[in-house]
This record gives sequence, structure tokens and C-alpha cells, in this order.
Amino acid sequence: MTDTADSEPIAQPRPATYYHLARAVLYREFLIFVRYPANAIGGIVVSLFFFGVLFYGGQQLAGQALTESLEGIIVGYFLWTLSVGAYSSVSNDIGSEVQWGTLERHITTPFGFAPVALFKGIAKIVRTFLTSLIVLVAMLLMTGTTLQIEPVTTMSIAGLAITSVLGLGFAAGGITVLYKRIGNWLNLLQFGFIVLISAPVFDAPWTRLLPLAHGSALLQRAMVDGTRLWQFSPFDIALLLGVAVGYLAGGYLVFHYATRRARRLGVLGDY
Amino acid sequence: MGDATSTGQQSVERSREESPSAVSTEDDTFDVLGEANTAAIGEQALVVDGVSKRFGGGDNEIVAVDDVSFTVEQGAVVGLLGPNGAGKTTLIKSILGMVLPDEGSVEIFGTDASDGRRGAYVDVDAMLEGARNDYWRLTVRENLRYFATISGVDPDSVTDRHDRLLNRLGLADHADTAVRNLSRGMKQKVSLASVLAGGAKLIFLDEPTLGLDVESSRTLRTELTRLAREEGLTIFVSSHNMAVIEDVCDRVIVMSAGQIVADGTVEELLGIANRNAIQVTSADIDDRLLSRLEATFTLLSVETVDGSRRVELEATGENLYTLMDTLRDAGVTIEQLHTVEPDLEDVFVSLTGDTQGLRGERSQ
Repeated sequence: MTDTADSEPIAQPRPATYYHLARAVLYREFLIFVRYPANAIGGIVVSLFFFGVLFYGGQQLAGQALTESLEGIIVGYFLWTLSVGAYSSVSNDIGSEVQWGTLERHITTPFGFAPVALFKGIAKIVRTFLTSLIVLVAMLLMTGTTLQIEPVTTMSIAGLAITSVLGLGFAAGGITVLYKRIGNWLNLLQFGFIVLISAPVFDAPWTRLLPLAHGSALLQRAMVDGTRLWQFSPFDIALLLGVAVGYLAGGYLVFHYATRRARRLGVLGDY
Repeated sequence: MGDATSTGQQSVERSREESPSAVSTEDDTFDVLGEANTAAIGEQALVVDGVSKRFGGGDNEIVAVDDVSFTVEQGAVVGLLGPNGAGKTTLIKSILGMVLPDEGSVEIFGTDASDGRRGAYVDVDAMLEGARNDYWRLTVRENLRYFATISGVDPDSVTDRHDRLLNRLGLADHADTAVRNLSRGMKQKVSLASVLAGGAKLIFLDEPTLGLDVESSRTLRTELTRLAREEGLTIFVSSHNMAVIEDVCDRVIVMSAGQIVADGTVEELLGIANRNAIQVTSADIDDRLLSRLEATFTLLSVETVDGSRRVELEATGENLYTLMDTLRDAGVTIEQLHTVEPDLEDVFVSLTGDTQGLRGERSQ
């Protein structure tokens, strides 16, 4: 306990804004990403392993039929890795914050946990994009396939598609706040994303309202057929945007009310 | 984002302006990190009015906090004592909004917590029992910057204050070390530092010395005492550790079964025990003499120390002469004789009837 610096004049503090909050949250996520890359590398390796099993195993079983639909499979798998990354990172992250006691601490701050969670969600999406792009490139090299990757179109459609999954992640995180141990079971939900990604949107148009389904269809058109963002109909884009915002808002509301219920029951910080 | 940024800034600034503790100058608002707190002692930092919290329902209903009311003046250091299950943690969490009370209200620096939670808690932070409280994968300094930001302070504007805080808590040499690589005691200090990083004026500490070794516990107590005395922080500390309460607190609230059973200064509470005990140590005290003593006095304890018997009994005034006569008649050679002052543990036991909850804590 030394007081060596006590006599020096000190500058006056300035209030923090949402800009400072965003910078703090994004920087923290960045630091953890670069300092502890094992999780990201592990995720990439596991994703590629399963794709290898799918591709080489499928070739043995389906032969030419698989090759003809390979582009669609790669796009679907790319979207699935994005979705799993966004969903599990958000829901698991909320569970971890509960376990550490840091979620409780955010409750008593001027900003609260809501904007922190949203900024974290953005960071998770960026991070997931980076790792999923590596997986995508590896899949293309592995199979010798080419896709139309126009960055603005791909990023916009894939980003909006997984925003709806982010909403599911918040909802799962909220349920984890209330019922702690259920979090591990909710991770199984990510296998349901396969169904959503391959939903029959043309035969059953209502499935476009489900998370991922419409985005998956648009991403197939963008990456396989080369359709650009501005070439989609306004309805398609509006629906994609509506589904993304709707599920994100719905998921966040579930999280908000679950947190409030946990405070009512006194179980917010219990683990 | 532009609107949100502007709104957020206004919100935080407004909250700070609304706080009575921040009315005089902008400087006063953050002085906990380096300058004396100029807030006048006597203004109320915390008003708890009729707070109740029940868990469960029907036959299984548990009343964790039962109609609790008290006030805490700015600059005061208040200890919260009580056996396990007395409702201490629930009360603190109810004050902090982490648990929603069923009844009652909480006012912090003049702002009703239920009306403007964000505004009410702008000058408040807490270090809770069992919680990691900070991010172990970040360094000590990164934690301070992060928690300063979420507390509403631009971290770039308090870098020198954080340096000072790190110096004072003996963390300067570990500023760039990931918290996960520090000892338990150091982690506890990082928790305290991160609680102070944003310039909180009212801090809640729930079992701050839990799990610490004797030396770390003593260091933390010393630092808490210094923060309270020199920087005028308002501290609300819950602990089983009597040394923490006696060393640091001006005032002690004792809870039992969800209710406040005593509230006063340490001296006032010590008066409750009013034990007036005498401790006699001699190798000549045998069972026969013990029986005679027991017939005349209230025996508080009997123990054998290095072959001698140490007897603690109640004896005051005329009784003291009777005790001496009894010992002389029995031919006892007294090795040691002294009065025993009551301590907080005696008060605690007499108020709550709890004799187990404090075992093992006094040595800290």
C-alpha cells in the first residue's frame, strides 16, 4: 500500500456515453478473442471435421447426386456455422455472466445490462463471421467448388439471417437466468437450425417467417446464382429485415422479462 | 446510434446532477479515487423503509426480510451482522435492485430506486459474496477501465486515478496481469478496486474477507478503514468477521430472522452484553471448588490450559470480594486474574442466540 502518486494533480473525469460503452464492450470481446484463440480454433476444426465426414461420407453414399447439390450444401453449412456461433456464444455468455456474478453487477449501473448484451451480440456476430469465413474458404478448397461471394450481399443477408438467431440466443440466455441448468439442454437447439436452414420456403411460404429460413433461401440465391442485394425484391429484403428485427426484439423481451422474474424470485445470481 | 449516444450521456449526467452528493462541484462527484469527499456527513446516503421479501408460498413461505427500515448517513460505515439465513444478503440485494422487494422502498442519495433505478444507482457499486465480480481473463487495469465505463465514467479521463487506486491497494505491480493468475487475496483486492474504479460513493461489501488468509484479511480491513476515514466513502459491509466490523464500522445493525434486532454504535452494542466477567487461572482449582463456585456464581466457561484451570465467571461489586474469599479459603494460588471485556461476538450471541455462526471467523 503505497501513496507515491497521491500528491500529483489528477484530471477530472468525464461522463461515459454509449460510444464509450460500445468501445469498452467490443474491446473486451476483441481481447478475449485474440488472447484465448483456442475456442475459435477448436470450433473451426470441429466444423471442418463434420463437413469432411458429410462430404466424403456423402460421396460414398450418394456419388454424383451429392456433387450436383454441393454448392447448396456448402452455403447451408456456412450459414449453420454462423448461426451456431452466434447462438451459442450469446446464450452461453449470458450463462457465464450469471455464474460469475457480473450480470448482477451490470444491473446496478447507469447503462444496465441491455446495451452491454446488444454490443456483445454485435461482437459475437463479427467474431463468428471471421471464423465461419475460414470454414467457408476451407470447404471450397476441400471440394474444389466455386461460389459467388459478393461481400456486401453476402454479409448483409447472412448478417440479417443470423440476427434472428441472436434473438433466440437472448431468449435462451433469459431462460438460463431463470433455470440455470437448462442452458446445456438449450444448446441442443442449434441442431434445429439445420431444419430451419433447409425449410421448404417455396412449398410452404409461411416458413419464411421462421428464423433463418428466408435468409437461407436468399443466401442460396446470392452465393449460388450470383443475385446481388439490389436485385432482390423490396418484399424479400423487407421480410428478411422484419424477421431479423422481430426475433431479436422478441428474444430480447424474453431476456428482459426472465431477468425481471429472476429478480422477483431472488435467483438472478444463484448458480 | 447518434440519438442513443446523446440520450445515454444526458441520462448519466442528469442522474449525477440529481444526486445530492454531486451538487456542489463536478470535482466532488468522483473524489473517491483521490480527493477527500466533501459531502457533508449527516445527509442521507441510503433510506430503507419497510422493506420485506418473502420467498415461496403457502406453508413453504420463507420471510427472508421482514419490514426492515433504517437510514445511513453519507460518510458512515455501517456493519450488518447476523447468523446464516438472517436475511443479510437478501437485504443488500433488495437495496441494490438485484432482488425485487415485495414491500417497502429504497432511496439512494435522495432518488427512489423504484422510480429511477439507473439514476439511483449511479453512485453505487457492490462486491457480493461468492461472486467473481470481475473478468478474470482481463488484466487488472482492463477491469478497472471496463467497470469505470459501465459505471458511467470515460475511462481515459480517470487513468491517473486508477494508477493511484492500484498503488493504494498494492496492485500496481500486477496492473497488467490477468486476474485469473492472481492469488485469492489479490483477486479480492481487484474486486474492491473495480468497485471503486467508477467513483462510487456508496459501496456495499458482502463478506469481503470470506476465504482470505489472515494477512490478506488484515490488509483489506486496513484499506477499508483508510477509504472510510480519508475519502469519506459511505460503506455498508456485511460480514461474519467480527474483526472487520469492529475495525471498520461506526455503527452496527444486527439482523436475526429477517428483522433488525439491534442498531447502534459498537460501544452501544457492547453495552448490551454488559458481561462483567472475571477470568481466574490456577492449577489449584479442582472439581470440588468448581462446585462451590457454581453454587455462588454464574460460570461462563471452564477450560484447561497447560495443566491449570481457567475459569470465567460473572462477578461484580460485592460478588468480587466473595470470589476472592472463596479462593483464599480453598487455598488457591492465583496464576492469573483479570476482567474480561465483552466483545461483539458476545453481543451477537446474546441478541441472536447463534453460537455456531461465528466459529473460525474471529482469528481473521
